[in-house]
Amino acid sequence: MSKPTITRPEWSTVIDPVLQKELEQHVLVTDWEKLLEMVDLVYNWGRRSSLWPLGFGLACCAIEMICTASSRFDIARFGAEVFRGSPRQADIMIVSGTVTKTMMPTIARLYDQMPEPKYVIAMGACASGGGPFKEGYNVVSGIDKFLPVDVYVPGCPPKPQALLHGIMALQKKIDGERISRSSWYRGDVERDIPIPALGPDLIDLRFVELTAERTAQGLVEAREETLKKPTKIPAPKADLPTEEGPAEPASRGPSKIDQLRARAAGQAASPEEPHPEAAPVAAKPRPIRKIKLAEARPTLVWLGNSALEDLAGRMNGEFGPATVTIVRAGLLIADPSKLPEVSRFLRDRNPTRFDYLVSLTSVHYEDAIELVYHLDSTAKPGQVIQLRVRTDEAEGVGAVPSVVAIWPGADFQEREVYDMMGVRFSGHPDLQRILMWEGYAGWPLRKDFLEPYYEGPTKVFDSRVDDGRHFRSEELSPFGSNMKIPRDFQGWANLSGDADPKGKHLTPAGVEISELATDQFVISMGPQHPSTHGVFRMNVRVDGETVVGLKPVMGYMHRNHEKIGERNTFLMNMPFTDRLDYFTSMGNNFGYALAIEQLMGDEARPPERAEYLRVIMAELTRIASHMWSIGFLLNDLGAFFTPALYAIEERELILDLFEWAAGSRMMCNYFRFGGVAFDLPGGWAEKASKIVNDRLDRKIDELDRLLSKNEIMLDRCKDIGVLSAEQAIALSTSGPVLRASGVNYDIRRAAPYSIYDRFDFAVVTGPNGDLYDRYYCRLQEMRESVKILKAALRDLPGGPILAGKKTYQQKVPAGEAYSRVENPKGELGYYVVSDGSSTAYRYHIRSPSFLNLTALETMCLGHTIADVVGLLGSLDIVLGEVDR
Amino acid sequence: MTFGLGLIRGHLITLRRFVRTFLVGHGRTWTRRGGGHQKVDLWFGARTSGDEPIIAQDDRTEGLFTVEYPDERLPVFERSRVLPVLIYDADDGHIRCTSCHICAKVCPPQCIWITQARKSDGKPIALPSEFYVDMDVCMNCGLCAEYCPFDAIKMDQNFELSNYERHQSHVFTLQDLLVSSEYYERHHPDAYGSEDEVTERSKVAKKKAQRLAKASATPSEVEPRPV
Repeated sequence: MSKPTITRPEWSTVIDPVLQKELEQHVLVTDWEKLLEMVDLVYNWGRRSSLWPLGFGLACCAIEMICTASSRFDIARFGAEVFRGSPRQADIMIVSGTVTKTMMPTIARLYDQMPEPKYVIAMGACASGGGPFKEGYNVVSGIDKFLPVDVYVPGCPPKPQALLHGIMALQKKIDGERISRSSWYRGDVERDIPIPALGPDLIDLRFVELTAERTAQGLVEAREETLKKPTKIPAPKADLPTEEGPAEPASRGPSKIDQLRARAAGQAASPEEPHPEAAPVAAKPRPIRKIKLAEARPTLVWLGNSALEDLAGRMNGEFGPATVTIVRAGLLIADPSKLPEVSRFLRDRNPTRFDYLVSLTSVHYEDAIELVYHLDSTAKPGQVIQLRVRTDEAEGVGAVPSVVAIWPGADFQEREVYDMMGVRFSGHPDLQRILMWEGYAGWPLRKDFLEPYYEGPTKVFDSRVDDGRHFRSEELSPFGSNMKIPRDFQGWANLSGDADPKGKHLTPAGVEISELATDQFVISMGPQHPSTHGVFRMNVRVDGETVVGLKPVMGYMHRNHEKIGERNTFLMNMPFTDRLDYFTSMGNNFGYALAIEQLMGDEARPPERAEYLRVIMAELTRIASHMWSIGFLLNDLGAFFTPALYAIEERELILDLFEWAAGSRMMCNYFRFGGVAFDLPGGWAEKASKIVNDRLDRKIDELDRLLSKNEIMLDRCKDIGVLSAEQAIALSTSGPVLRASGVNYDIRRAAPYSIYDRFDFAVVTGPNGDLYDRYYCRLQEMRESVKILKAALRDLPGGPILAGKKTYQQKVPAGEAYSRVENPKGELGYYVVSDGSSTAYRYHIRSPSFLNLTALETMCLGHTIADVVGLLGSLDIVLGEVDR
Repeated sequence: MTFGLGLIRGHLITLRRFVRTFLVGHGRTWTRRGGGHQKVDLWFGARTSGDEPIIAQDDRTEGLFTVEYPDERLPVFERSRVLPVLIYDADDGHIRCTSCHICAKVCPPQCIWITQARKSDGKPIALPSEFYVDMDVCMNCGLCAEYCPFDAIKMDQNFELSNYERHQSHVFTLQDLLVSSEYYERHHPDAYGSEDEVTERSKVAKKKAQRLAKASATPSEVEPRPV
């Protein structure tokens, strides 16, 4: 005993050491520290057994988080089932998914609003350190750049068990805490982080002075000087030599562009080349070699060459010669200002009425930005034509007339083109950025836009293989983070986290309603809201409870698929497509594989067995997705979680099949060009047949009986959000949303792909186009899918599963392709422009969720706020696909 | 509208689910309370880690659906993939990777960094001297394993990877990535025994002796042998 014992005289009794020990064991003889330790035990036990997570999800990982909360994994066993909608009641934030710059201020705000003690779990690679999307321009390289993280759960996405493992790790951490040292009982907790500001980029206000200084030094520009930049190819030229050739817009651009154009024109005019496109011009790094050209066709099922020529002839007769020319199986409209008349003609006066705008996108060529419109007719489906309109390549020059008045479905797509390419649309009612925020510097999809972490025009990056020294992308940026600010930026003093440039100006105008004449006000619903199915926001103008205006605000999960996809090799994009609509990775794979196979032609025709496997996987996906969709629609309607949990059970069993065959529950990455990646493991087909034949019908029936005639359900859903057939077509909706309005348009029938023409299934349509019909269509579609599955599993042939040799170096001929698949959410399209190199020159995703949202305002007007929630659920959006 | 009938029917369905949790209809045996159709396990005591019962759920699963991880486990499918690992041959301890860079070339988010080993005279040899996988970037897509011509990189199934720190531990080095071929065989029996891999292995084995002889002719700077 080195410590002298201080004994007060009146207590000075000498105790027998044996007795002393006995006393210490059986009677409480302790000091303050030890006493508190005992309190700690109870205190920590109490806290760790009642962790209330904040109910918010960001991306793919959020789905696994919801699965963790569902019956199979049952997070309730850990006392963490009480997902709170309000940060004020939550004490653990599971950052589940990609943290985008657009979302970051909201996350910081939510974190600040959580009371102490609070914990953060970074779930998945994206939340931990940026993940696969790290190189994107709108992605924060890990939530720990802003928030203190307690537990990291690696994986992409982590399985639900992995998240449970993370929660157990957090519980262990809590067990080790000491009440006497916990900071939240002391006054000195420094917890509020300044909300980062959305300026020309996401700016962390803690380092704003340093950022300003480094920006002024021009370090980013200096670095970019040294980098190899993407090369631009010239826009495709007419197949037949015409007198004038495709007219280009008046050259008003700066001299540099004129030079480039002159150079391009000079080389392209050389007479010995039959296809000017075949030889890349002004492409220094690309070696001049013979590039194979893909067959010119806009998409697999289309109007056909002779009919197109016929159509072009009629249009030239109508609007004067050389109004349109045929360029690579597309109609090039020489003068953009003629676009509205031509569109009206196609929609109203042409014998085949092209009333359905399938997709609208843009490509940045060397000499022009080309807008590409794909049109189809719902009355005579499968007659797709492609319109091309060109505008000046220079930034901020030229405008194209908007076609919103003709096809209202162009609304969001034109805004997207504006946001990504900087193309102005004259006459667009509300031309604002849609995915990025107002004030963001740069037009991301222009070829001359380089991201902060830009390393090279195409993958593979040399740094990975030449000198394999590991570095983090942060080291590439002078700011040490994913940030790039134009050198001339001046508004440092005005930066504030409270400014909300995203969606600030998107205030719905409001319509007149007669019932109430109270003051109208605007509610911002989201981006963190339990019923917005992800990080989606609506600016709703209400009169009382009645919605009189609604503007969706999106982009909170914009993770730059298309930009990254233009750097990836063709194969690399396959796993990225998994993460678009993360419920339907097999369907996404399908669409992408079809696009590349269209370019590759016959050499990539999948063998029979592969075709069957593809259909089986796609239809299983449809059931899994519709199950989830119905379950969560009911959640939105207030039937909290019973139907959802029932539906998730079936989805889980299907996910087991996916994991068994493809290796991952959600990110299957199963398709390859010309087939599939792996053959089925032994026993798979039998188990799948059992589930399909013996279980799914029964469970769908049960769901049907549980819900379809439920009076509350009928009351909430009948005649809510009616979309007439005309509206649904005009607004470019697709999938169950379109069919519920009575339009018989299913890509599997309208433009058959793969082997769908062999199966007997009905296209389910609804009579009224209301919320109920959208629900019921999905339910019935599941039955049709089961029918297809039964036949496919019965007839599944043997044989090879991949055409040709398995290779990672895909040779894709130059050309354009637009593939369409009927994904559970609607028509999923991939528009790919290949220049014959190893990467796609342009890679655009026509996302059904994004386009279906165009119809949201029309559906919601006149209904109440509570109906908005249900209507959004009936659209079945997935934010990974909306924002891409 | 016959008000209420639909509601009552719905309640009967939920009630039926509840009952089926306890009385599963196939036979007279009681099944496990948590979903699977295995027999009920009344002596549910403490188990050592790694010895948990595996609950298989299939078309016959009714009633309660929960699998009580970590005390019970779902089956881990052989192809299930989380992070990549590098394989060394258990018999002689040599790593299979020849530093051909294909995995790095095929990696979509570019999370693999490789340095080829060199002899002291600077000649490259077919072994990696450094190999990094940044698991904060890795998307678990499995393309590296799929396209590796030497069966050297494979996807691991271990998902219990949570930790408290990422800057030191989430970049896996060569040593962190290595697992033995026995480990791989244990976790991927079907793939290991598949025709493709057997022929591949025999092909590689022949060349390996050659390759290693070449590599060790003069002592290399780095000798990446696992301990």
